[in-house]
Amino acid sequence: MSEPAIERILFSAEQIDQRIREVAAEISAKYAGREVKLIAVLKGSVFFLTALVRELSVPVKVDFLAVSRFANQKGAPGMVRIAKDLDDSIEGEDVILVEDIVDTGFTTRYLLQHLAAREPNSLAICTLLDRTPRRIVRVPIDYRCFEIPDRFVVGFGLDYKQLYRNLKYVAALNLEAPGPGA
Amino acid sequence: MAAQRLECELVTDAKLSATIASEFGAQNGIPEKAWPHLATSILAKLGVQQHLVISSIGSELLLRNIPGMLRAHVVAPEARRLGNIMLDRRLERAEAKRQLREMEKETALTRKKRFGRAGSRVQSFDLVMNAEGLATEQMSDVLDSAVRAKGLLEAGLLTAAAEAQIQFQVRLKLARYGIVPPDRLQVRHKEFGHPSEEVFANLLDFYRIAWDYEPRSFPLQWDKDGKVQEAFTPDFYLPEFDMYVELTTMKQAHVTKKNRKIRLLRAIYPHVNIQVFYQKDVQDLVIKYGLPERLAQ
Repeated sequence: MSEPAIERILFSAEQIDQRIREVAAEISAKYAGREVKLIAVLKGSVFFLTALVRELSVPVKVDFLAVSRFANQKGAPGMVRIAKDLDDSIEGEDVILVEDIVDTGFTTRYLLQHLAAREPNSLAICTLLDRTPRRIVRVPIDYRCFEIPDRFVVGFGLDYKQLYRNLKYVAALNLEAPGPGA
Repeated sequence: MAAQRLECELVTDAKLSATIASEFGAQNGIPEKAWPHLATSILAKLGVQQHLVISSIGSELLLRNIPGMLRAHVVAPEARRLGNIMLDRRLERAEAKRQLREMEKETALTRKKRFGRAGSRVQSFDLVMNAEGLATEQMSDVLDSAVRAKGLLEAGLLTAAAEAQIQFQVRLKLARYGIVPPDRLQVRHKEFGHPSEEVFANLLDFYRIAWDYEPRSFPLQWDKDGKVQEAFTPDFYLPEFDMYVELTTMKQAHVTKKNRKIRLLRAIYPHVNIQVFYQKDVQDLVIKYGLPERLAQ
């Protein structure tokens, strides 16, 4: 199968930096005088997390989670589970779940349920991209950088078959058209 | 999760109540004390056709004389239950606590009305698990082992003779309330129209999201006598979110026709939430979740 091509850049590196600074300012104002724990979902959210924490002016801790893949090697669906759990307790802490993209809301809902049972003082969601046209599960998003149309996107942590995460921008990928390397 | 793992039909309290309402008429006219008998009648009919996982208030007290049952109870610490309510309803802890108390009161009241006692007794169960020490996956493992250890799946379904005996006793009990059970019960079997629907169902199961396949048809056009001429049946209903989902993986000409139906549905039934997934969306899901690419075709 030929590799798809980048169709167009949706958000440039400058636009992303600017928007992250704005969202970080919102978070810093909301959590002023408190300490906040940011939890990123591996792997895609790491890129957004590292950019976001550098702009926060409140004391911040970070931790990471990973969820199991939908299908095993034989293609059979399993049951969602935490593949990598938090390193530390979040009891009594103000927690923000950091996502690269909220799409159907399936994964986010599962993670929120997992985190809510750990008795945090508060729990919020911050996402780089919010693709509402695909939303099935209504998840409450507190901070979003960009809303995106119903397109397959890559870059700034988002991948296509594990590639493109390193792009400094977010781009729409044309899955029909072959890329230059095809 | 256990139902999926054991490949059994999940019968929830909502499903049981809805079946009672549709099979026996409006629930308002049925005394709560008749509820266990009505539920028993329906479960016996279903039990002849498939293995069941029953998740309903007081269900441990139903079909008490049937040997092929495993009665399991899951308790969870208040912190976990509170966390779920905080999340689902976007509440502060104090308000979540108040609502949790309300829910507990309501459950106790329902149980009292149906079975004459507000609480459950540990002696009524074969197995009690605590979610504080056991993760959902581990509880599912324990249930799976217990079901297999008791040989419930190998023992086969409820026999017709056993069902007839149950129905005879239920008829006697229901006669007191002037209720006659129906002879036949409509049971839906899941036969997916397209492989992508099965993948989507698997995806919902993966995330432990309850679903029904094509549970309802919406009339869209009627003739002058009021007879339905055109209807639309969405593929999935997700009761937790009160949302219908339609998957569209067909040619553009058919998509246009289907879009017209969905527009009509939204116009006639504005309160119905429906999400449409087009071929491109399904394809994206296939890529995102690493599924075989033939499923997106």
